[in-house]
Amino acid sequence: MTTHYVLQAEDVAIHYGGVKALDGVALTLEKGQIRGLIGPNGAGKSTVIDAITGRRRLTRGRVLLDGEDVTALGAVERRQRGLSRSFQRTSIFAGMAVRRQVELASHRMGVADSGADADAVLEELDLARLSHMVAEDLGYGEQRRLDLALALVGRPKLLMLDEPMAGLSVKESHDLARHLKALTSRWEVSVLLVEHDMDVVFGISDAVTVFELGRVIASGDPASVRADARVREAYLGSAA
Amino acid sequence: MSLSRIGSLALLALLGGALVMGLTTSASLLGMFTQAVIYAIFALGVGVLLRQNGLVSFGHALFFGAAGYGMGVALTLQWMPAELALLAVLAAIGAGAFLIGLVIVRVPGIAFGMLTLAIGQMAYLLASRARGLTGGADGMGIPWPDTLFGVPQATLLQPATLFMLAWALMVAVTCALLWLLGTRFGAVTEAIRDNEERARFIGIQTTVPRALVYALSAVVTGIAGLLSALNTGFVSPESLHWSASAITLLMVVVGGFKRATGPIVGAIVYFLFKDLLGEWATHSMALFGAALIAVIVFSPDGITGALAKLRQRLRHGPLKKGSHP
Repeated sequence: MTTHYVLQAEDVAIHYGGVKALDGVALTLEKGQIRGLIGPNGAGKSTVIDAITGRRRLTRGRVLLDGEDVTALGAVERRQRGLSRSFQRTSIFAGMAVRRQVELASHRMGVADSGADADAVLEELDLARLSHMVAEDLGYGEQRRLDLALALVGRPKLLMLDEPMAGLSVKESHDLARHLKALTSRWEVSVLLVEHDMDVVFGISDAVTVFELGRVIASGDPASVRADARVREAYLGSAA
Repeated sequence: MSLSRIGSLALLALLGGALVMGLTTSASLLGMFTQAVIYAIFALGVGVLLRQNGLVSFGHALFFGAAGYGMGVALTLQWMPAELALLAVLAAIGAGAFLIGLVIVRVPGIAFGMLTLAIGQMAYLLASRARGLTGGADGMGIPWPDTLFGVPQATLLQPATLFMLAWALMVAVTCALLWLLGTRFGAVTEAIRDNEERARFIGIQTTVPRALVYALSAVVTGIAGLLSALNTGFVSPESLHWSASAITLLMVVVGGFKRATGPIVGAIVYFLFKDLLGEWATHSMALFGAALIAVIVFSPDGITGALAKLRQRLRHGPLKKGSHP
């Protein structure tokens, strides 16, 4: 029996003139799986996310969501089909109350009962008690979770997170990691995680893909990736 | 805010207005109050643009003056009955502002302010120079009919009637804005104001809602212009001048733009201030300017913001961050 993939990115390339930001990248993701993407700065991790979400046009290759080719679709259509993301820099609606903005996002995703959807997401991320607070009055960790809440409305099939732990304290990162792990199993959402915190990546990922200069240099379960000689040399260095 | 809550607040506000009308015996004082209320409606228009779009207009007098000129021209040329003309003028202002809005709301920040200033001053110069119909710099009288909606002019122009009419319209406009901005349309415009990129990413088209808010704010200001035309029976290019826009903007900032009632408070404070100063009134702008600096330094959210903070502090103790309604 063949495996069912939520995401298949095949031979994805993005070239800017002569610069190959991505050069023939292949990625797959199974249902409920967390795949960590690591690599040095400029290796192409964020570009992969932009390519999959439709923020950047592909030079070559294609993207399949649940077997459907979405390469020709724009970012909003892909989001409505269940392909969601968070942003590297916190991107929330600062002047709006927490629930008001999550409910609005849910409504725009075409969820029939957007109120219930928003409440479920807020409950899941421990934000329910802050529903009526204005976002700019929240703490940084709470704002990051709100960013995640906006990405989670409408129960996406695939969630791409671009450095969700950036700027969080150790405790906040571990809390967020715990939320993520619980979410993937309970809501059966698959996660593509770009993150610099190696403890988090190797701690919660089911699979890890390593990038260097726009190419995949290793991919597999965390243990085998950690042991890979090329990865140790290229990225993890002597510290690993 | 729920409809029943808005309704009961409106009733309370109307009673308050009636009380002010009943207790004020001096006709000239009541006349000053009427002017304050008319400017409060003007300021509500400027405030809703700032609050929902995050855009500062230096040219809203355009819609204030256009309402007066629209009425003057429609009645002088006897195009239609006055009652119909009132609605037609507001509709024309709304449609015109929407079209202007479609173009200018795409321009961010200070450039938007400059565009509104330029458009407003164009209208001012046009009205000053076009002598034929509008009387140029001398302005034009507005030939109101003997009865309006069946009410004889003599009754309508009583200071008490005019005050209550303006007050009731101010309450109605405030309630309509509170209701409208509580709907999903309000949420959409807030999302665009706060984060246009993310708003687009969740599938919001960003230009039309902002142009609609611009049109809405123009219509509110137009209502103030119509009231002013009724109050004075006269319209002049001064009502289109940028300084009228600037004073109203000051009222909004002093009152606080984050709350629906802020512009009203700002307008009332401004007129009371001017009246209390009496013969010092020639220096009122200098003193009001000083007050403005004090407000911006000590409470960027204006008087209503400071009051809300004070109330929260009394209720929960100091230094608690919270939400505003």
